[in-house]
Amino acid sequence: MDQDVSKHNGFIRFIQNTMNSVLSGGKQYITRFKTGSIGTKMSHLVMGSGNIYHKQFAKGLIFLGLQVLFLSIFIFNPEINNTPIGFKALGNFITLGTEEGTLFGALADNSMLMLLFGVVTFGLIMVFIITYLTNIKSAYASDLLVRSGAKPTTFKDDVTALFDSRFHVLLLTPTIIGVLTFTILPTLFMIFIAFTDFDREVRPGLNLFKWVGFENFTAIFTGTGEIAERFFPVLGWTLIWAFFATFTCYIAGILLALVINKRTVKFKKLWRTVFILTIALPQFISLLAMQQILSEHGPVNAALLNIGLIDEPFAFLSQAKTATTARISVLTINLWIGVPYTMLMTSGILMNVPKDTYEAAQIDGASKRQAFFNITAPYIIFITTPYLITSFIGNITSFNIIFLLTGGEPNVPGNIAGKTDLLVTWLYRLTIEEGDVNIGSVIAIFTFIITASATLISYRRSKAYKEEDTFQ
Amino acid sequence: MKKLIEIKDLTKSFDDVQVLSNINLYIRENEFITLLGPSGCGKTTLLRLIGGFEFPDSGLITFEGKDLKSLPPHDRKINTVFQKYALFPHLNVFHNIAFGLKIKKLPKQDIDDAVKNVLKLVKLEGFEDRNIKTLSGGQQQRVAIARAVVNKPRLLLLDEPLAALDLKLRQDMQYELKEMQRALGITFIFVTHDQEEALTMSDTVVVMRDGEILQIGTPEDIYNEPKNRFVASFIGESNIVAGVMIKDYLVNFEGFQFTCVDKGFDPNQDVDVVIRPEDIELVPAKGEIDGVVTDMIFKGVHYEIIVDVKGKEYVIHSINPQKIGAKVSITFEPEAIHVMEKNAKFT
Repeated sequence: MDQDVSKHNGFIRFIQNTMNSVLSGGKQYITRFKTGSIGTKMSHLVMGSGNIYHKQFAKGLIFLGLQVLFLSIFIFNPEINNTPIGFKALGNFITLGTEEGTLFGALADNSMLMLLFGVVTFGLIMVFIITYLTNIKSAYASDLLVRSGAKPTTFKDDVTALFDSRFHVLLLTPTIIGVLTFTILPTLFMIFIAFTDFDREVRPGLNLFKWVGFENFTAIFTGTGEIAERFFPVLGWTLIWAFFATFTCYIAGILLALVINKRTVKFKKLWRTVFILTIALPQFISLLAMQQILSEHGPVNAALLNIGLIDEPFAFLSQAKTATTARISVLTINLWIGVPYTMLMTSGILMNVPKDTYEAAQIDGASKRQAFFNITAPYIIFITTPYLITSFIGNITSFNIIFLLTGGEPNVPGNIAGKTDLLVTWLYRLTIEEGDVNIGSVIAIFTFIITASATLISYRRSKAYKEEDTFQ
Repeated sequence: MKKLIEIKDLTKSFDDVQVLSNINLYIRENEFITLLGPSGCGKTTLLRLIGGFEFPDSGLITFEGKDLKSLPPHDRKINTVFQKYALFPHLNVFHNIAFGLKIKKLPKQDIDDAVKNVLKLVKLEGFEDRNIKTLSGGQQQRVAIARAVVNKPRLLLLDEPLAALDLKLRQDMQYELKEMQRALGITFIFVTHDQEEALTMSDTVVVMRDGEILQIGTPEDIYNEPKNRFVASFIGESNIVAGVMIKDYLVNFEGFQFTCVDKGFDPNQDVDVVIRPEDIELVPAKGEIDGVVTDMIFKGVHYEIIVDVKGKEYVIHSINPQKIGAKVSITFEPEAIHVMEKNAKFT
């Protein structure tokens, strides 16, 4: 079995593949240098010379221009907001600034920009290395063409190819650049922040922050300090919330769909429409309305007071006396908002269960209950597993409902994490209200790890993934 | 043989549309009976009534003399093989077949034995753990049959079970179904719109149209002695001509008089005359039913030849090819002529 590990384990396979391609890439690099023409050999030093040697001037000059551009950025270190990009940025990335600055007068080094530009410079170096290798590849390709008796491609050929056989390259380039700048770069930036002491004391440009290694992580996960004390209750409630929010909506939605789909129910379309109206209404409006309705002087309390069921207004949400009250309230409101989605989806599924299958079960003597648990339920679960997973993940990171209904309250005195705070709403409070960016980053990384791994594991284990084409 | 099912004066309508009217039929034990007819003729509805998924508006269905009316599907000793198999996609072959036995709470050993036996019968030994989706259409079909017969029904209803299979597989399955029916010793009611299927497999064929039974008989009867124009044209290919029955054993059509083997019509009664394509022989024009060969298609065993006789086309199956444009005469033996009552409703 051991020798088969690479076959089964995607990660190990990935590492092997990467190492193999690096190795073969290195071999190629050497072969190209050894067997290439003088132009190709030159390309290893001066980009574009191989192409110019083969009279592909435009291409060669573009490569040359890129090399000049990169080297000049790297050497001359242009500055933005007094913070350089270039080889100095690499040093700054390590120190995160040395100039302390004084309270009045001199500014400190901007640690945040230094960190950011460090990442940018790394990115530029990566891009340069790829361009450099492409330049050698291009020169060597021309070598091979000439050696086989053909002419090297002209610039016009290359541009035409971009619109034809290499059209995917043209289309994907802007996408990749976009992903790099707007997704990868900020993500890396955020991950690095988690390893600094960029907390509420730091104002970038006025004072410095520095690398602290895994201090933030240990403070949260192993520490007994303040942060850890806040973190674990929030995490626990987040998981409880995600579980109940998902399954209450799911089960209630299925029941509702079953009821509406019953043959004896009249005005099916009307009922469906009524529930869909909650989807049509912007969520924050219904949430704010709910918050008002359940508030101290809202209609619900007024009515209860009038009937005489209570003597003083009952606090459902942020002012609730116990955490459990507030939590049940938000889960109930979430149920009301989430049910139409499941209902809509399941009624579609129920209408699609082949009627034959029920009849086949009926012949075998299955009762209605047995037919439901043996046919309908597996069918619904099969189809909705991906939905369940995404809905669970979505609930872990659900911001609106908690933020708009309770704002994370009721609060614990002296503790910024409230009793209904989820990881994300706490994250919001930590970073936006308190300025503890480093702790926020750690929590964001952590949230990402649990959502990503939960998704991967449950999705890959689900029957819907393994037996994709069963129900068709 | 004993009568197993008797159907008396059965009618059924859906929302004012009469789908079955006045059906009278009996089915014997160990019989392979086919309900044959075009789409919408009511054959599937009749099957569902017998199976207990629909209820008649009036009339009676009895099983060994007992009224079936109040019996739910699973208490009738009847099982169904559905057109699209209706297998449970989340269960494997074994659990699909064992589903009904488990609901009856049979001991595990009995269930294992029963499943093993039926799998042997449908030639799927060793398929117990296979996932339904990994089976071919033909194999799914066999599982569906196995699931139906494992409950030991006295009567098996098959609703166009071969419709989804390709031609070769369908032909193989026709023989196998017939074999299975003999081996099991139970009655099969088979619904199809494919006349060839009906003729190949059945002991008795019931031809239906628009909710009525047109003819009940053995495949030979139905083919050789169709009762009316519809049956004649639905079962196989035929040349149908209007004629007049002059007297017993003498019929006039296409302007000539022919001796035939039919009798019992009124003198000079208007009739339809059927001549099967393979019963016609072509000879060089001799001044009787003369025509011109307009088309010829090679069909493997025979040539299909179209002869135009004064604007009317005759289809002839012959092993001898003809030249297109050749002038020929149509001849046949008296036994080849089949005379039917003319019925305005079935034209």
